[in-house]
Amino acid sequence: MAIKWSCCVAAVIVASSAVAGAHEIGTTRVSVVLEGDRRYTIEIVTDAAALVEKLEASTGRRSSSDKDAARQRAVLETLDEIFRRRLTVAFDGSTVRPAIEYFVAAQADASSSPVATVRLTGVTPPGAHAFTWTYGWTFASYALVVRHDGQENPATQWLEGSQTSAPFALVAPAPAVDRFGTARRYMILGFTHIVPYGFDHVLFVLGIFLLSGRVRSVLWQVSAFTLAHSITLGLSMYGVVTVSPALVEPMIAFSIAYVAIENMFLSELRSWRVALVFAFGLLHGLGFAGALKELGLPRSDFFTALLTFNAGVEAGQLAVITAAFVLVGWRCGGADWYRRRVVIPASLAIACTALYWTVQRLP
Amino acid sequence: MFRLKALTIATVALIAVPLSAHDMWIEPTTFSPEAGTIVGVRLRVGQDLLGDPLGYDPALINQFVFEDAAGRKPVVGRAGSDPAGLLRVAMPGLLVIGYRSNPSAVELPADKFNQYLKEEGLDAVAALRARRNETSAKGRELFSRCAKSLVFSGPTNSAQRDRTLGFTLELVAERNPYAIANSQDVPFRLTYESRPLPGALVVAMNRFNPTEKLTARTDNDGRVRFKLKQDGMWLIKAVHMVPAAGAANADWASYWASLTFELKKPL
Repeated sequence: MAIKWSCCVAAVIVASSAVAGAHEIGTTRVSVVLEGDRRYTIEIVTDAAALVEKLEASTGRRSSSDKDAARQRAVLETLDEIFRRRLTVAFDGSTVRPAIEYFVAAQADASSSPVATVRLTGVTPPGAHAFTWTYGWTFASYALVVRHDGQENPATQWLEGSQTSAPFALVAPAPAVDRFGTARRYMILGFTHIVPYGFDHVLFVLGIFLLSGRVRSVLWQVSAFTLAHSITLGLSMYGVVTVSPALVEPMIAFSIAYVAIENMFLSELRSWRVALVFAFGLLHGLGFAGALKELGLPRSDFFTALLTFNAGVEAGQLAVITAAFVLVGWRCGGADWYRRRVVIPASLAIACTALYWTVQRLP
Repeated sequence: MFRLKALTIATVALIAVPLSAHDMWIEPTTFSPEAGTIVGVRLRVGQDLLGDPLGYDPALINQFVFEDAAGRKPVVGRAGSDPAGLLRVAMPGLLVIGYRSNPSAVELPADKFNQYLKEEGLDAVAALRARRNETSAKGRELFSRCAKSLVFSGPTNSAQRDRTLGFTLELVAERNPYAIANSQDVPFRLTYESRPLPGALVVAMNRFNPTEKLTARTDNDGRVRFKLKQDGMWLIKAVHMVPAAGAANADWASYWASLTFELKKPL
């Protein structure tokens, strides 16, 4: 206990010296925790004998000079009302009356005085914005450390006895929004969700590409697919649509197989094919939403993250199509051998793979 | 008597906020140790002998020493510890403990600074401010502590005296307070830069009745005499203030001398 106490004070002295130069720092320290459910806890850790002496002196009676921890605690409890006179806990300028508990712990080192811990607890008034603190039972400088529950970096003010603190905001400051950083991060996450991690989506896009070597065919299908998956991704992320992944994932696999099988019987774009790709796009959007929910979205920049993730997915799909065009070339699209040697075998391979996935993903 | 001085630090903005500076004194764990024992040297800051512990702070310490017949040695301490230091009583006799701090910057509003000058008997500074038309100006000050304490080990010996440690402002007991006879005055001498300081207010207060203070002004030899009738710990203190030469952040430099000892029996 003695070592712990000394270490804490030493840390305070080192910290204060580093920033403020030489000042008379006492051994008192005050820490405040503001919790999310409006409860607050304030702990004053101070030299028990010094506190008892001051309290007794203010009553006009001679100090008992008792060094026994249990008796010091009893004195503190008896003088509770005196203690409260030089203590102010205020929210938006209005003083509140916290519950107070007193603890005194003897130190292992006989030459060191027992340490008193005074714990103040209460609930912040509804709608309060700021907390202020005044403590008049110390003559030396002390650190007031205020922390929002769950936040790592507390705010510190150095105060002199009887000095009122500057107001502390009750709501934890929101982390600085780096919109550009969020956009960049989610764009990359969207892209990598297709390449290299989304092999099933890659096969679906290749299925779209393989139907016809014509750019027009690819553009229609990709546009329908993009529009559809954007709709369900957005609706799902905002909680409007909820479909179980157990249903969505096998259906996505089946959609890939269906498109690939159709490629083997169809060589021209038909309007119902576009409608079908749109319908499958709705399914894939639900799949993207599932992945994005697993990644998590920043509360402060939800829309930016959603938009850029979708854009990243789009970029990934376009990269697949561009790569496919580069590999086979759109000029080959019209050749007889292209359908026999590329479209049919590739579609067959995709269909087999996707059917395997369909079975594998069934609950 | 309530003294206020200001001294605060804001860690983030480094804004000078008012804070109090009070008396500062040394309170050993015992004033009458046995030879060979360890004495804890507690530093206290407060008023009316109600004090808060100051931990050992290397950034603040200029000198932290004790001196016996064998010479001067450092008081050892560990950062943040209370007692701030420890010493070993090597031999019987009078032992002088000294703590000299580095200066700390303080800034006070004019009214509080003027009140503080009045309460500490710093009339010359108040008069100088008035002559310079600075009475309504805030007080910017560097204050330093010059605290001493006397402990005595072994049989009473009037031949042993307090020693001069060479502090900028220093109170010296000219008689061994542990060897004074009944009804005798105890003379104290106040020196500033090793020369007697005349006209300074010296205050004496006792642990058991600290609000009833004895006060006196030093004579031309820097000397005051107090008849100390009460047993228990005594604090003798004085404050001296001079214009701060060459300091960018202060107009005044103050020195706070204190001397503590304990009288065992009523005189």
